[in-house]
Amino acid sequence: MPDGKSVTVLVADDNEVAQRLCRRVLEKAGHRVLTASDGQEAVNIALADAPDMILMDVAMPLMDGLEAMKQIKDKRPSMVVVIASAHSMAGDRERFLAAGANDVLSKPFRLNDLTDMVAKLVGGGLPAQRAPDK
Amino acid sequence: MSPDPGQPSAAAPSSTKGLVRPATPYAIAGLVALYGLGAAGLSLAGRSGLLVALVLLAGLAVLLAAVVAVAVRDARSMAATVERDSKDLRDSEAWLRAALDHTDVGMGIVDTRGAWLHVNSRLEAMLGRSAADLLATSLPAVTAESQSGVVSDSLAKSAASTDGGWTTETLQVRADGSAFPVSISVTPLGERPASARTFLVQEMDISAAKRAETVRDVMVAVRHAIATSATWEQAAPAVLSSVGSKLGWDVAQLWSEEDDGKMLRLRHSWQADEPRLSEFDRAAHSLALPTTGGLMGRALRSGVAAVNEEVSATSESLIGDAARRAGLTVEVACPVTFGGSVTGLLVLFGRGRRDVDGDVMTMLTVAGSEIGQFIHRSETTVALQRSEADHRAIFERAPIGIARVSAEGELLEGNAALLKMLAHDLETLRTQAWPELLRAYDLAAGRANLAPLLAGISDGGTVQLRAATGDGRWLWLQMSAASIPDLQGKPEHVLLMIEDVTAVRETQDKLGESLSAQQRANADLEKLDRTKTEFLSIVSHEFRTALTGIQGFSELIRDGGLEQDELRAYGGYIFNDADRVNRLIGDMLDLDRMESGRMSIRMADVDINEVLSDTVARAATGSSMVEFKPDLDPRLPIVTGDRDRLIQVVSNLVNNAVKYSPEGGTVTISSRAEGGYALVTVADTGLGIPPDEIAHVFERFRRVRSGAAQSIAGTGLGLTIVKQIVEMHGGKIWVESAVGHGSAFHFTIPLAPEAVTPAMQLRHA
Repeated sequence: MPDGKSVTVLVADDNEVAQRLCRRVLEKAGHRVLTASDGQEAVNIALADAPDMILMDVAMPLMDGLEAMKQIKDKRPSMVVVIASAHSMAGDRERFLAAGANDVLSKPFRLNDLTDMVAKLVGGGLPAQRAPDK
Repeated sequence: MSPDPGQPSAAAPSSTKGLVRPATPYAIAGLVALYGLGAAGLSLAGRSGLLVALVLLAGLAVLLAAVVAVAVRDARSMAATVERDSKDLRDSEAWLRAALDHTDVGMGIVDTRGAWLHVNSRLEAMLGRSAADLLATSLPAVTAESQSGVVSDSLAKSAASTDGGWTTETLQVRADGSAFPVSISVTPLGERPASARTFLVQEMDISAAKRAETVRDVMVAVRHAIATSATWEQAAPAVLSSVGSKLGWDVAQLWSEEDDGKMLRLRHSWQADEPRLSEFDRAAHSLALPTTGGLMGRALRSGVAAVNEEVSATSESLIGDAARRAGLTVEVACPVTFGGSVTGLLVLFGRGRRDVDGDVMTMLTVAGSEIGQFIHRSETTVALQRSEADHRAIFERAPIGIARVSAEGELLEGNAALLKMLAHDLETLRTQAWPELLRAYDLAAGRANLAPLLAGISDGGTVQLRAATGDGRWLWLQMSAASIPDLQGKPEHVLLMIEDVTAVRETQDKLGESLSAQQRANADLEKLDRTKTEFLSIVSHEFRTALTGIQGFSELIRDGGLEQDELRAYGGYIFNDADRVNRLIGDMLDLDRMESGRMSIRMADVDINEVLSDTVARAATGSSMVEFKPDLDPRLPIVTGDRDRLIQVVSNLVNNAVKYSPEGGTVTISSRAEGGYALVTVADTGLGIPPDEIAHVFERFRRVRSGAAQSIAGTGLGLTIVKQIVEMHGGKIWVESAVGHGSAFHFTIPLAPEAVTPAMQLRHA
């Protein structure tokens, strides 16, 4: 664990490549990573393991990310959920925030954007120390 | 005519006060004779209480005569007695004279030619002449000119017969020329030769009775004129001429108020036939009299009839002058009233002295009231008739159709425009077309939430309906109905306004059609736009998903510090996603070309079995997890097609089958000929497709995401392209599937023409 404190992030994405990328980046930043491949699995893990943050894809089988977020927030209103989606047409970001997302991360993303997002929302990792500079 | 001095009665004194001289035997004898004659005359006349009194006086005179005869015989011996009796006689004579002079009956004695021999004071008063004047004239001379001949003749006849007394009504003329009606009785006196006969004349003034009778006559005439006329205009001449002529006036006029009662104008007039009066009438017609002055103004303001017996230019502004020029001196103005207010004046003009008594004034007042009511009635009637005429004209000449319908729905009337519009005569319209039209109205009204025609119409809503005409055309009619209530407020009949709106309606329909075509086109465009937006959203999502891995792992590699195996793995991810992006672009371009018809197919003979075998062989080398079971019909004829495209179809289906099959699953590839087509089936034992997704599997980006299929990469365009290619070859593609048991994709490709046998064609059909 290089710097800052360690948090647990649940990465919910049906795309295996995206899962691996996020795991690699977040683990390198010192965080613990859980993964889920569909919305239902994401809800189950979120409620069972109570991660500090969830990185949630939207287009997933069985249950999409927005429905999963709603179910999680219904039970754990304080759970931090970031929607990470390749949907980036006009109005998508607003739609996700209106649905209850704490923030939105557009795909593809810069690796720093991901680690900064985690630091900003749950105070974990290296960027927590440089937050005042921003 | 002078009294004959030879006659005994000629000894009668010329005194104006008495019939007898002071008592002398000679005179007494004459007096007795006169009394005898008087008694005989009175007994014959005997017509009134006063005459009865005269009879008694005559009897008394006979008695006195006897007494006097005795007195003469015993004159010398009874001188004292005579002296006493003379006084008694004088007393009696004075009493008699007073009685005769104070009777209400005018009395006189005339000879056979009618010359007055004696007259009493009443007769003097009645005729307005002194006794001396009368004794110098005759009965015919004081009779109105028109009737004096009759009187003369009657006297002559009486002279010729022994018993010829007579009674009649006639007109006497006063010294001032005025006439008055009398009842006259003429009685022969005593037994005398015809030439020396005398007659007792008794006259009674009957003008009051005559006036009452005249007033009655006038009233009857006025009421008759009113009762037999429809309007005041018609009645006016008869009313005015009756009032004027029967009452003996020269002019009768009706003036009415104008300018809010500020002025009076002559509306109707009658005058006696005389040039001066015609002149006066013209002058009166040209006048507008102010209601503030004159007799007329007074009558108008007070509402009471008024008389002016000395008409002058000063007393009557404007009209007084004209009246004087026509010699008119007396004027009566009587209000014409209705409902307590004065609306005009009945005005009479006359000449000379006039008896305008209470009866006449009362009659004029009553006539004024009846005329006023009649004028009002007649004006109301005229107004109603005019209104009726106006409405009739509107009804008949209106350019739109109007129908009057009974409360039972029967057509009562239809105007010319309606008959022309519907090309019917009234009878066929009434009996044939009308009931149908009513039903159509009620149906249309029902759709428009209006009351049916016969339920009573309250609002002005219109309905449009289709109706056939008598000459076989179809019209759009716009109808609006208004119910006309009776006095109790119940709908008595209904007026229908009917307009031919066919032209308007057809234009509207055309506009409506083009409008809805426009709307459809707009909707198509909107849908296209939505589809395009949706497609862009999906495509960008697909690209960004692929780029997420490419960009992310590239960044990791660039930042360095990676193990060798990590580098290799990340390079593999990058390659796969880049490859996917490449395929996505290729598929999209293919699809675009196919859909826009720009993709050409190079047709040639193709052996489908060979395509299938090659594809399976390639797939088998790439995947060792599924078992391939080819089931190819070796007798399958050659097909016509583009070999490369057919390979694309088969490999797509086979790759799908492999992707969706679990480890150890089976992919069966079969071929056979069927009805001129080669039928190819690729079946797997994989996940299967949920029923609600089967219908969509050939749509773009419709990848099955259920269960383990989630991680299977693909462009989402493969099956769409496959379907396009099959259809471009003239074949069909479909899928059968059950979740958990697998899916089977079937497609057909036409066999080459020379390969098709008639039997085959039949089977396929």
